Amino acid sequence: MQTALLELLLLAIAGGVLGTWVVLRRLAFFTHAVGAATFPGLVAASAAGISPQLGAAALAVGYAGGVERVGRRRGSAPDAATALLLVGALALGVVLASDLLEGGAVADRLLFGSLLGLDNADLWLAAAAAALALACAFACGPTWTAIAFDPDGAPALAPRARRLDALLFVVLALAVVASLAAVGALLVSALFVLPAATALLWARRIPGLVLAAVALAIAEAVLALYLSYWLDAPPGPTAAVVASTAYAAAVVVRAAIAPRREEPA
Amino acid sequence: MIALVEARGLAAGYGGRAAIEQVTFALEGGQTLALLGPNGGGKTTLLRALLGELEPLAGTVALAGRAAYVPQTDRTRLDFPVSALDVALMGTLARGRWWRPVRRADRDAARTALARLGLADEVDSTFGTLSGGQRQRVLLARALVQDARVLLLDEPLSGVDPASAERIDALFAELRDEGRTLLVATHDVESARGYDRVLCLNRTQVAFGAPSCLAQDVLERTYGAELVVLEGADGPVRAIMTQHHEH
Repeated sequence: MQTALLELLLLAIAGGVLGTWVVLRRLAFFTHAVGAATFPGLVAASAAGISPQLGAAALAVGYAGGVERVGRRRGSAPDAATALLLVGALALGVVLASDLLEGGAVADRLLFGSLLGLDNADLWLAAAAAALALACAFACGPTWTAIAFDPDGAPALAPRARRLDALLFVVLALAVVASLAAVGALLVSALFVLPAATALLWARRIPGLVLAAVALAIAEAVLALYLSYWLDAPPGPTAAVVASTAYAAAVVVRAAIAPRREEPA
Repeated sequence: MIALVEARGLAAGYGGRAAIEQVTFALEGGQTLALLGPNGGGKTTLLRALLGELEPLAGTVALAGRAAYVPQTDRTRLDFPVSALDVALMGTLARGRWWRPVRRADRDAARTALARLGLADEVDSTFGTLSGGQRQRVLLARALVQDARVLLLDEPLSGVDPASAERIDALFAELRDEGRTLLVATHDVESARGYDRVLCLNRTQVAFGAPSCLAQDVLERTYGAELVVLEGADGPVRAIMTQHHEH
């Protein structure tokens, strides 16, 4: 239980910090897709008896680089490319899983994660992801914000805008890989999208958005862990349900208290 | 005089297809240029090529010194959690080391730029809550913080209230006096006559020179059916029937 809690706290830091620029840069679909894209690598590595994260990392970074390059081209459709690769990766993963893995339990763990079998290596990986996210946000945050705010003007604003934008994709891919053991290939959005998207509904400035996203990610992770313990439910999906519920509640509350526009006479 | 901005036989576009061709012009420090053309005529493409975002498909383009780009205000995001000061501070990214935290000198420069554009009282206002004219002035303040010698402005007076337009016009005159070069994409033919140079673009360069080159046939070749002539109190007035479009 303590290992699971520490793992989730570390991942919540990474997810909340990077999630800020995921929602500002509108990379929610990419983030979901990069998790799913790792599935074939997880299956192949598991079957080969090597670290699943190694196989996942290779696919995630390659996928992130490909999407970043496609998105840079004017007239391209990055969402279509993302969707195509997402479907392809899932299909390939399912085919590989049916041939290489024995039983559905392993495939379930790769897709939806597990907090029961975490070890020190997973904790170190989560700690590295949190440290990397914090360091990159501190150094690159202003440039990432400028790119998200004004993609056309950013190259004139920041001479290294393209490289640092590509770095965001790579760091995000690596952080997603670090979270796979806990939340699985299909539920990374629970950590990297939903807390920051919820915080964005209320945030007025970027520093406040980062702090609120991290705090919310931690609160949701702790709540999900205890709910899964008392309800005897799998922790990954429970975390996703908690994060989704919090987002939906925030939307409803915000809509309820937002000042109504006066109708013209 | 040495040209600060120069294009020779420039062709640029997307996916290997040229959106503009045969663009040749040069501007010195302290000169202003009105970039005229219909929607889809290639004005934004030319600005992107000058910024180096698009590789020339043919010809050459050269900028001496740093360039700043001011986008159309309706292309900026209103749901962004940033203040006017935050936006102006983005201009410091071009000057300093990218990993360095914002310093007091940066904040002072941003506040000064906002005050210069009459926004001293809006420093802490959320960008998305400002009027269109105020947002345009914030983007201009960001360009001032960049301290660029060349400013590329994409329809800066489009949808701007008269008070903001007056303030922006005054700023252009000040920047010209400081020796900065301004390229301003605009649909306003009459105001273009107040610039040092005009460049008419409709996928290919129609004309480049002093504003006196804006004869009826040049405007007709530039705008085609978008050009209408209205009878005004002081004679005929040429107007452009613009349509909103996505770049």
